[in-house]
Amino acid sequence: MVASEKKSSREPIVDCDVHVTDTPQAIAPYCEMPWRKSLEILGKAPQRYLDIPGWSPSMRALAPIPGGQPPRSVHNVKEMREELDMIGVDHGILLPDHLLFFATLPNTEYATALSHAYNRWLVAEWLQPGNKLWAAIMACPQNPQDSAKEIERYANTPGVKAVYLPTAGVNPLWGHRNYDPILAAAEAADLPVILHSVTVISSAFPCQLDQFENQFGRAVLGHAFAMMANLTSMMHTGVPARYPKLKIVFTEAGVSWAPFLMWRMDKYHQEWRRTVPFLEERPSDYMKRQMWFATQPIEEPDLPEHLVEAINHFDGMDRTLFASDWPHHDFDHPRALLKLPLTPEQRQKIMWKNAAELFKLPMTAGKLLEGHSA
Amino acid sequence: MSEQKSSDGFLVGPVSDLPPGTHKIVRLRNMEIGVYNVDGAYYALHNMCPHQYGPLCKGPVGGEMRCNQKTGWRFDWARDGEILTCPWHGLEFDLTTGKCLAPKKYQVRQFPVSVVNGEIRIHADSGRAPATA
Repeated sequence: MVASEKKSSREPIVDCDVHVTDTPQAIAPYCEMPWRKSLEILGKAPQRYLDIPGWSPSMRALAPIPGGQPPRSVHNVKEMREELDMIGVDHGILLPDHLLFFATLPNTEYATALSHAYNRWLVAEWLQPGNKLWAAIMACPQNPQDSAKEIERYANTPGVKAVYLPTAGVNPLWGHRNYDPILAAAEAADLPVILHSVTVISSAFPCQLDQFENQFGRAVLGHAFAMMANLTSMMHTGVPARYPKLKIVFTEAGVSWAPFLMWRMDKYHQEWRRTVPFLEERPSDYMKRQMWFATQPIEEPDLPEHLVEAINHFDGMDRTLFASDWPHHDFDHPRALLKLPLTPEQRQKIMWKNAAELFKLPMTAGKLLEGHSA
Repeated sequence: MSEQKSSDGFLVGPVSDLPPGTHKIVRLRNMEIGVYNVDGAYYALHNMCPHQYGPLCKGPVGGEMRCNQKTGWRFDWARDGEILTCPWHGLEFDLTTGKCLAPKKYQVRQFPVSVVNGEIRIHADSGRAPATA
């Protein structure tokens, strides 16, 4: 059953959510002054996993509970390549660790400098010809005008395949018209945007998770509600209608919320069309044309066919992308999807073809796609 | 009210009963049908919303709020008098085509209307083309 063991003959795997460890000390040399000084100070201070004030403010305020697996971090290309090879992933789209909390950083000038530094670091340290690691450069919701220029700057950089939209605690939500320059730049650059959240306690909707007294309750809701709120926000200002070539990817919330939200939006669209007249088709029509959904953390119903059914509800065989979330605690091994009753063609689409087409990846392990240049 | 069947469709009444911008609901066999005068063109629609079967023709007639590239992405009120809104759930229908503005899968049944010798008649068997006075 484990196809990944036979490397030479097996199908390739594209993973649209892989995390690089982004410490302040690693990124400091790439940061403009005076903020480089701030990163150097942060780099010398004691650091907790995904919980550094001024860098990754999770605001958890929870006592440690003994037990559990130790956190995993990947600090360089060599480690990343070895570990992805170990789980059978060929291509990975790189997203940050600590800077998943980026949108909650309140100082605009600092955030702007940090977004520049992260992008410089990511491109310089992680992209190497042939390593099959691809960058999602970080957008800066705190400074949309500058962020648009940053996207233009990297539009033709080899290896840059997407724009990461920091989603945890973003306020206002993606879809607010303040962010239009970022979306316009991503559309013009033909770079898909990737929304990625993280469990954060924030006063920004829908992250007011402080009343949940443990990580179970917060984790169940955090990512999923963030994706639903941001997708709804983008729909309610007509983002897919106003940017008809923009491609939008939703990650780390599984996929079964997508049909629920799709049906719910269609239901209210029929009554409130006149309030969103830019949506000349149903929300589901835009979802099925311009939005993609990453598998991790894949739902694990007792009957795997129920998940296949949920995927089919949103025409998901063309819209679902495999994601591992490596190296995080709730990562999915590619073989998790072997349990799903899919046809070989459907499996190919979800495990690599949909992503290869979306991100325009040169598939050296698989078939070289038409019209692509590396 | 019940209408008299003639050899040439069902009589709605004289055109003077239905000036532009007005409508009336008539009963034809077991159906209620709304007959509308939109700027001199007559349209007849089944008084039943295809959504949850509400009394569509008892809803208000207005225009279409639009916002697209042609309007410069600004809100624009268009086609006043041509859009019917169901009183139950607010679904909007194009009076001239019977099509829902959203979702497009909903289509209200339409009936041809003719005007002969100053009398408006509905034809319940075939066709959809509106009549002009």
